Amino acid sequence: MSRMGLPSRLWRLSTGRFGLIVAGVVVLTALVSLVWTPFDPRTVDISHRWGLPGWPHVLGTDGTGRDILSLVMAGARTTVLVAIGAGLVSTAVGVLLASIGALTPRWTREAVAVLIDILIAFPVLLIAMMISSVWGGSLWVVVWSVGIGFGVSIARVTRPELRRVSRSDYVLAGRASGLTALQNLRRHLLPNVAPVFIVQLSWSMAVAVLAEAGLSYLGFGASVTEPSWGLLLADLQQYLQVHPLSVVWPGLAITLTVLALNLLGDALREATDPTLRGRHVPGPKAIPHTTPGVVA
Amino acid sequence: MHSFSSRPALLRRSAVAGLGIAALALAGCTGSPQPGPTGEPDPDATLRLGLVLEPDNLDIRHTSGAALEQILIDNVYEGLVTRTEENEIVPSLASEYEVSEDGLTYTFTLNEGVTFHGGGELTASDVVETYNQVRSDETLIGHDQLAHVVAVDAPDDRTVVLTLDQPDQNLLFALTGRAGLVFDEGDETDLKTAANGTGPFTLADWSQGDGITFTRNDEYWGEAAGVAAVEVSYIPDFTAGVNAALDGSLDVLTAVQADLAPQLDGQNGFTLTRGATTDKATLAFNNQAAPLDDVRVREALRLAIDHEALVEAVGAATTQYGPIPALDPGYEDLSDVAPFDPERAKELLAEAGQEDLELELTIPSFYGTTVSTFLVSAFNDIGVELKVDPVEFPTWLQDVYTNKDYQLSFVLHVEPRDFGNFANPDYYFGYDNAEVQELYAEATSTVDPDESAELLAQAARIVSEDHAADWLYTGETITAVGPGVAGFPVHSINSRIDLAAVTLATE
Amino acid sequence: MIRYLLTRLTLLAVGLLVASALIFTVLRVLPGDVAQLIAGTQGSAAQVAEIRRQLGLDRPLWEQYADWIGGVLHGDLGVSMLTGSPVADELWEKAQVTLPLGILSMLIALLISVPFGVLSAVRRGRADGTAISVVSQGLAAVPVVWAGMMLVVLFAVVLGWLPAQGFPRSGWAAPGLALRSLMLPALTIGVVEGAMLLRFVRSATLQAVGQDFVRTGAAKGLTRTQALIRHGLPSVGLSIVTVLGLQVAGIVVGAVVIELVFNLPGIGRMLATDVGSRDLVMVQGELLVLTGFVLLIGFVVDLVHHAIDPRQREAG
Repeated sequence: MSRMGLPSRLWRLSTGRFGLIVAGVVVLTALVSLVWTPFDPRTVDISHRWGLPGWPHVLGTDGTGRDILSLVMAGARTTVLVAIGAGLVSTAVGVLLASIGALTPRWTREAVAVLIDILIAFPVLLIAMMISSVWGGSLWVVVWSVGIGFGVSIARVTRPELRRVSRSDYVLAGRASGLTALQNLRRHLLPNVAPVFIVQLSWSMAVAVLAEAGLSYLGFGASVTEPSWGLLLADLQQYLQVHPLSVVWPGLAITLTVLALNLLGDALREATDPTLRGRHVPGPKAIPHTTPGVVA
Repeated sequence: MHSFSSRPALLRRSAVAGLGIAALALAGCTGSPQPGPTGEPDPDATLRLGLVLEPDNLDIRHTSGAALEQILIDNVYEGLVTRTEENEIVPSLASEYEVSEDGLTYTFTLNEGVTFHGGGELTASDVVETYNQVRSDETLIGHDQLAHVVAVDAPDDRTVVLTLDQPDQNLLFALTGRAGLVFDEGDETDLKTAANGTGPFTLADWSQGDGITFTRNDEYWGEAAGVAAVEVSYIPDFTAGVNAALDGSLDVLTAVQADLAPQLDGQNGFTLTRGATTDKATLAFNNQAAPLDDVRVREALRLAIDHEALVEAVGAATTQYGPIPALDPGYEDLSDVAPFDPERAKELLAEAGQEDLELELTIPSFYGTTVSTFLVSAFNDIGVELKVDPVEFPTWLQDVYTNKDYQLSFVLHVEPRDFGNFANPDYYFGYDNAEVQELYAEATSTVDPDESAELLAQAARIVSEDHAADWLYTGETITAVGPGVAGFPVHSINSRIDLAAVTLATE
Repeated sequence: MIRYLLTRLTLLAVGLLVASALIFTVLRVLPGDVAQLIAGTQGSAAQVAEIRRQLGLDRPLWEQYADWIGGVLHGDLGVSMLTGSPVADELWEKAQVTLPLGILSMLIALLISVPFGVLSAVRRGRADGTAISVVSQGLAAVPVVWAGMMLVVLFAVVLGWLPAQGFPRSGWAAPGLALRSLMLPALTIGVVEGAMLLRFVRSATLQAVGQDFVRTGAAKGLTRTQALIRHGLPSVGLSIVTVLGLQVAGIVVGAVVIELVFNLPGIGRMLATDVGSRDLVMVQGELLVLTGFVLLIGFVVDLVHHAIDPRQREAG
């Protein structure tokens, strides 16, 4: 019930507005790129390597003569896919682990808590390395490693919150009044924890975009067949000192998108948590969710 | 026998006819432009050298990899013979050698006064024991190369005689590599982390991730090394390497990437040299797996590639259209076999019933993306969708090399004189042509080197006409030589760096 | 309290054991192995098999595991399959780069996040407060790889103040040089991390501002700032410490990209290299130590929380 009107509430916040607009632009670009890009992003043109921005290559060309604007546009597709995929997987993993860790009898709860701590020690990067070692580098590696890695992070952060809500008065009252556990879950528990997870979803997408950049740089992420911002960054960045301008575009695209997703998360938080200004103990909201170097 | 280069030296160079480069390279006349040292060479100087791929350990007898040969052979370890940077065979521990007319007997006369770093003196019995070990122990690298040696004898302290069961054209060259290195009889040194050789340098220190340090061997039997010590740093990131050179941390930087070279050219006193190599960038086709078992498909794929353009994109490379590079015997310019012709490629695919083909390229992830990007585009133009699968090297070894579970694969084969792979039906190429195998066997057992080269050239042409693989280019190597450095080799840097003659003027 | 301590200690031990089993199994799933790598492309099947036998890779899995764990319990992490050198030695050597890097990064991150975070919370709604918030959001979104390269171009190539890459071979024997080598990497991590932490500090401060005890402090005659510092900061500080604990562990474990870009011989890079060459004994040892480190930090943080904030006990 608190979710109706959410988009409009988001829009009213400047952070929400920025986030929605940029995210919208990215999704739109991704869709457009399916039918049109100035050049085929795969086509190399050796005689026009390292072109400066101008005409017809508006953002210039890379080391093999591919048009950078087309690559950035096509890369948006990858970004959207990775962000959504990783976002969903991490939220699912987070919900699952947090639920088991908060709602089951003490023994399993403690076990899951420890399990979470152990899994957190496995950085996203390592998970990515292992997955890609078995199945080869690909976007799925990014999706699953961020999904699992960040999902565990989400679980760690939301588990106490979930537990707290599960033991709050109205939920307990729900049980007392004869609702089954499942009904109680749906009617009382979920609506109150959903905002927490929605917020984490947004941040997990931001993490995924950064992770894609880092993992592609290391060779575990996108391969040449899928244009991606991360791979483009990795390619061009090697020549930063001789062709500094080219690397600006994918870097900017990544930064803006991540910024938008982060701000969207912030706005979601503000828009869905009525007790923000209140007596809340510093909660799961703002614990920094990733570490530089780990994912990007 | 193969070693694979870490990262290819991807260098920029405008396309030049392969033969022209070959002539230049062999004549060595582009080699060694000495940057003017500003003063006299300093005998106490330490040379700081930047390389790319670090060896996992230093065990030159058991662990494969070009990184080991590159730095250890001729500097720390020596064999009876060695090869120059242009791959010519010259004497080393043996002051002279003689091959009998029937090619079955090799007689080596050892130099006097050769000592091992650990203290022992070199005698013929050391050679005998070392070579017998290689012959009998199949875990020692080089074992296969001594297959035709039936006896190793020492008629006296200074003479070693190898007896063969049939002439082996490759034997002498093999002895310039790992198979020929001589170790002290009964030596117990742990080769993984220490060394006991006869070379102009001793191994002072090695720490994984930190690099290797050599110090001059003052008891060296030959001419003493030009510098007192060499500090080798391994810098896998190309830009980091360039920066290290620019901020004065290195005296020499190898494997400079072509697109980055302008940053060093003439800067801070650095000069660039370009050298030839036998690094063959090989796009392997799995000849045993459909649809690549159809020669029309293989030819189509080759015709789709504009090799001149690729060479320009890669930077320091020359075109290559057959399995034998310019520095090896049997080289011939085979560009007529697979000219750039995308229209004809499409025709061939249609003939073979393979329009809308989807293929997968397995490529070790350390190679960068230039080649894959180029291939995706080139194949896209003839209607072939190429999926690229970057894998870690151990995975490549398992999937492609051992299990032959692949369609296309790209790897840099850096070993010289490895044409034999195409005469080996069990090699991961899966190429099985009886005529080639016969020609190769004949070439190997011919005593006259020129005749042998002629036979190899014939075999190579057949392999190319069969389109058993595509040879995307042969790498060139760019080295940035700092001010005051003289005598640094120019060619074949990926497989051999002879540091003995290098000097450094510090003022 | 004692019972809590004991429970958590047991869980820690169990956690480590489970982690070890997890690490062991996952690594064995990876395709390709170190024997093949050593034999290389000259290797015959027989050669590979022999190397496997020498390394003990042909024994049944449970035996290999038992062997390894047995060693660990005696303090022996094993030796590298490739170099034969002890895992513990390698770890310690690489830690001398990664730990200082982590600490330095954390310091920079704190220096940025705490003052600016508090400032931006206190000045919320005003121009400077918002500006800080916006800038920090932007910085937090920058891919670290990009940030690193930019800093290199500026400080190393253009200005020449700091080394562009590498770590002195003499290690910490020349502390000045070593410190200079870590400056840019630490700055790269520190700035981005600081920007992220800043948001946290800001929100934690905001929450503290709204807390009762701050209002009480104000009622007692303290200015808002004084109340904030005396009553709010400890709880904010506690949250920061918690988060820091997790982050430091993460940095130590995961700074692979930074170590690659700046060519630093640290733990992250060693881990990546060892996984790449399938040196399982090394990787097992490294991962176990790192996991243990993180678990330990989590344990300490939990303990601190429990001791200081009794409300947390309920959260179970």
